[in-house]
Amino acid sequence: MQARRFVWLRQAAAFALLLLVWEAAGRAGLLNPLFAPSPSQIGAALGELFGSGRIWPHLEATFTAALGGLVIGIGAGVMLGVIAALVPLVAELLEPVMTVLNAIPRVVLAPLFVIWLGIGLASKVALSFILVAVLIFFTVFGGIRQVDRRLVERIVTLGGGRWDLVRHVYLPSVTAWVLGNLKVAVGFAFTGACVGEFVAASRGLGYLLSFAQSTYNSALMFALIFLILVVVLLIFWIAGLLEKRLLRWQ
Amino acid sequence: MLEGASLTVGDGEFVSLVGPSGSGKSSLLRAAIGLQRPLAGTVETEVAPAEVGILFQDDALLPWRTVCENVALGPAFHGVERRDAMARGEFWLERLGLIGLGGRFPRQLSGGQRKRVALAQVLVMAPKLLLMDEPFASLDAIVRARIVQDVAELVERDGISALLVTHDLEEAISLSDKIYLLSSGPRAHISQEYAVPIPRPRDPVIARTHPAFAPLYETLWADLSRQVDGDGHPAEAA
Repeated sequence: MQARRFVWLRQAAAFALLLLVWEAAGRAGLLNPLFAPSPSQIGAALGELFGSGRIWPHLEATFTAALGGLVIGIGAGVMLGVIAALVPLVAELLEPVMTVLNAIPRVVLAPLFVIWLGIGLASKVALSFILVAVLIFFTVFGGIRQVDRRLVERIVTLGGGRWDLVRHVYLPSVTAWVLGNLKVAVGFAFTGACVGEFVAASRGLGYLLSFAQSTYNSALMFALIFLILVVVLLIFWIAGLLEKRLLRWQ
Repeated sequence: MLEGASLTVGDGEFVSLVGPSGSGKSSLLRAAIGLQRPLAGTVETEVAPAEVGILFQDDALLPWRTVCENVALGPAFHGVERRDAMARGEFWLERLGLIGLGGRFPRQLSGGQRKRVALAQVLVMAPKLLLMDEPFASLDAIVRARIVQDVAELVERDGISALLVTHDLEEAISLSDKIYLLSSGPRAHISQEYAVPIPRPRDPVIARTHPAFAPLYETLWADLSRQVDGDGHPAEAA
């Protein structure tokens, strides 16, 4: 019964049971559909979104913002982290700024980005970016300072130069740390995109959510939450594959 | 801390450096290959840096490179083409009894196997002088005896000079032609030099049964104990 390979089966059964009870309670009139629509109503809302095809531009907008922020954020985070780790002056100036940015809930910057960059894609990418970049900066900055000295000495005593150190020690170390934080970064990127759309937008899942809120359409709201969940899980899965491939030495 | 030391390792000679903790044995090796600068004074060596190999206490293999890639690092740094470097790596892995493990990652090997990889990584560079900083300390007894045997054999066959830093007097005697004893800190120096009158070629495990082994061990032990106890003036001996 307790065999590990049946874990997913038990989990699926529990989930199905929950849905069943939920549906039954809804049909028996125990739940107010205004607050808690039944699974079938949520399913219908999802079907309508995809059936009519009106979900696609919104999905595209959120994906573009999240992935754009993710890619630029990782790029900038790695670059700044490396530079700060190598140039003490840069670290002196950058670290306090990053520490402050890390301490505040960065989504509070969303309204500011809307004023600066408008309600289009740019403000969402910017919010995703700032969420991801600060995380990756600290990952890389801290990581490089903790590079195993023994590995560095080994490369040097075998006759390796500066470039060999970068290629054989620093680059693989940085890759490992960034990949270790990739799932968190993906979560941050979608948080940034959705919150940005929530604040002010004309497209996107976050925009649809705020629309559902203003029209008290709870079925649509649940459908969207479910959709975002599936999307993020999908990207987690891809990130997991990438991690497995690149960190197969672990 | 070490204060002035001059030691000679003859061609093909195996020399050990023993002494209390903190006397600067490791620092001496590190200074010899430029990893550490002396607080004052200079370090003079008569071999080119490229001809010196060093084996550390930790194997320090790159975890993200395969075993063979790790061994091929040195040649690659010296301009050998990748394929050639890998071939040399395979050759040395084979010589150290690691046939078929070249494609694994270090994490997949045992401690003894990793130590052999680290050894291959150094020997592939065909060093004239091999420095060893307590390289076998972390291994368990049998694995350790086997690897010590192999090191003795390889070093002897290839005519490599060796300088071993160790805490282990038995290891020092069974491997060496000559042993230096460092005095204890804070102003450590080389206090004694001992010739090991056991003929070579020899098997380090068998060497322990040689009649000269026990008396030398006793002398070394007595002198080292005096250092550790802090009197610092070894008796006149050998």
